[in-house]
Amino acid sequence: MIFVENLNKKFGPNHVLKGIDCHIREREVVCVIGPSGSGKSTFLRCMNGLETISSGSIVINKHRLDDSKTNINLVRQEAGMVFQHFNLFPHLKVIDNVMLAPLKVAKTSKEEARAKAEMLLTKVGLAEKMDTFPGNLSGGQMQRVAIARALAMDPKIMLFDEPTSALDPEIVGEVLAVMKDLANEGMTMVVVTHEMGFAREVADRVIFMDQGRIVEEGTPEEIFSSPQHGRTQGFLSKVL
Amino acid sequence: MALYFGDLLPYSSLLLEGLWTALYITLVAMLAGSALGVLVYLGKVGPGKPLSILCTCYIEAIRNTPLLVQLYLIYFALPALGINLEPVWAAVIGLTLNNAAYTAEIYRAGFESVPHGLREAGKALGMKPGQIVRYIILLPATRNVFPALTNQLILLFLASSIGSIISLPELTNAIMSVSNTTYRTIEVLAVGGLLYLGVSALMSLASKRAETTLFRWAVGTHV
Amino acid sequence: MFRPFEWQDLIPLAQGAWLTIQLCAVSGILGVIFGLILGIARTSPSRIARWISTIYISCVRGIPVLVIIFFVFFGIPLLFPGLEPDKFASAVIALTCFAAAYVAEIVRGSIEAVAKGQSEAADALGLNYWRKLTYVILPQAVKIMVPPGIGFLIGLVKDSSLVTVTGLLELTHAGNIVTNLTGDPIKTFLVVAGMYFVICYGISRLGRLYEKRTGVHVDPLKLPEPAGI
Repeated sequence: MIFVENLNKKFGPNHVLKGIDCHIREREVVCVIGPSGSGKSTFLRCMNGLETISSGSIVINKHRLDDSKTNINLVRQEAGMVFQHFNLFPHLKVIDNVMLAPLKVAKTSKEEARAKAEMLLTKVGLAEKMDTFPGNLSGGQMQRVAIARALAMDPKIMLFDEPTSALDPEIVGEVLAVMKDLANEGMTMVVVTHEMGFAREVADRVIFMDQGRIVEEGTPEEIFSSPQHGRTQGFLSKVL
Repeated sequence: MALYFGDLLPYSSLLLEGLWTALYITLVAMLAGSALGVLVYLGKVGPGKPLSILCTCYIEAIRNTPLLVQLYLIYFALPALGINLEPVWAAVIGLTLNNAAYTAEIYRAGFESVPHGLREAGKALGMKPGQIVRYIILLPATRNVFPALTNQLILLFLASSIGSIISLPELTNAIMSVSNTTYRTIEVLAVGGLLYLGVSALMSLASKRAETTLFRWAVGTHV
Repeated sequence: MFRPFEWQDLIPLAQGAWLTIQLCAVSGILGVIFGLILGIARTSPSRIARWISTIYISCVRGIPVLVIIFFVFFGIPLLFPGLEPDKFASAVIALTCFAAAYVAEIVRGSIEAVAKGQSEAADALGLNYWRKLTYVILPQAVKIMVPPGIGFLIGLVKDSSLVTVTGLLELTHAGNIVTNLTGDPIKTFLVVAGMYFVICYGISRLGRLYEKRTGVHVDPLKLPEPAGI
């Protein structure tokens, strides 16, 4: 599904990603953990072209991201993205936030887009908030809308960039619950997160990144119970 | 000297007609100028290098020269090139071109004030740059600079008085011609000044009202 | 009867530009002085002072500069018989009236921006109003007045073109006269526009330099709008 080979990313003199190799299979849930500044968000953002690649290759569903002939917008339709700060469109009602891309990008009919949006909002438990503007929602509700918005394009992969980091602790759970449902339905997911509990419970595989490299990867059991690498041990001892 | 306003009464319709001309020229120049202004801004930040330089030069040239000189160039200079313009057209074109440069800068501030995340969210949904501008950025940007835009409308209304110098029959022109026929200079300037003041105060009130009704979505949001 | 535009025509234009600069310098300085007083009055604890300055500022900002110029030029001799200021003095009075109102708005904006956090701190130290203003608020406010002040100065230079209606031989009027001699408004007014551009662009460069030197950059959206079109 996703093949990453020798991925390098530089911001000027900063070498942020130093040769990442990674393969993510269909229906797999992968959690990427690591200290801040380890490059995990950049890695995720490379996967839908929000960051350009300095060298190496990423292939998503047979689309080569490093090929300039690839229509990046097609890739983005197949890889939905959820941001740390939600990035809901403030001037559109909740339902219109969800309907915008189906209408303008996928060019579906209005009725179809609306039915789909209602279905998705019901799924994330926000059917009654359809006609509210995002400014009137709590953080947890906004993030659930953002998830519904990403799902509206029928993505084959969902990318989550620290989806709960901007939320108050008591409402993290409602977002994680939605994500868990999604994982159980068999969505391929890459989740950059600080929620170790979620990673342990839901992930098929955990990747630990530090200083622009994948230091260690394995099942949650392997990573959390018997981390092999010193840096992984150090990191986990601080956060657990 | 004694002030006497009675002599002005027969000329009230002349003054009101002048006010009307000033108003519709302002509105036309505001609408056309803001539309042109967005295009100039987009041209400036767009990928085309020559276009970008052209737009920057345009903005700087307009913003660093007086409107009166711009009007002179349009009104007196174009006939020398064989293009004859009625004062109304010269004023509308001059104010529109002038306004476009200012609104382009206002829109620059507005677009820059929209959080980068919104653009990224649009990209991540597979939207094209044009769609992102049109469906995602334009409205929040407009809201953020709405006070600046309405202030520009008032400035434009006041600037329309400069049209009187190229013999456009707007309010200031009417004021001066009434002054010349009645010799009630102070009185007619006072009445005219109050008309300008009243209309600009109304515009400012209306824009505050419009801001709350147009951008109801923004209540409680900080965009 | 017309002769072509020649190099010698630059001389009256340059003289006009010099008069424009003098006019703006004098009315700019006077405008800043009165504007500071008005702006401080606008934010003062005295209700009367606030009222008077508010009314003055709103009136001037709601009336076209051209009408103010007419008012001063025709009105002063009528209202005060015997008092007949010359053209330069009338122009200075008119532009000062207008400048003061705009400077006052800039002063008010800057004082309010600083006062937000600093005022309470100064109150807590027991400083009275004038001490607070002179030792705490104004020194900081002056810094952030400069960028919008630059915008105001450019507006003043542009608006000074309107005193051409009084017949004062500043840059725009010089342009009119040269046009009458040469019958070539295009060249003449392009040169005139170029001279205004040099003056205004020069001022805005100074502003950029100041921003670079001090690092003071104030959000253009949060400030009172610069004067003039």
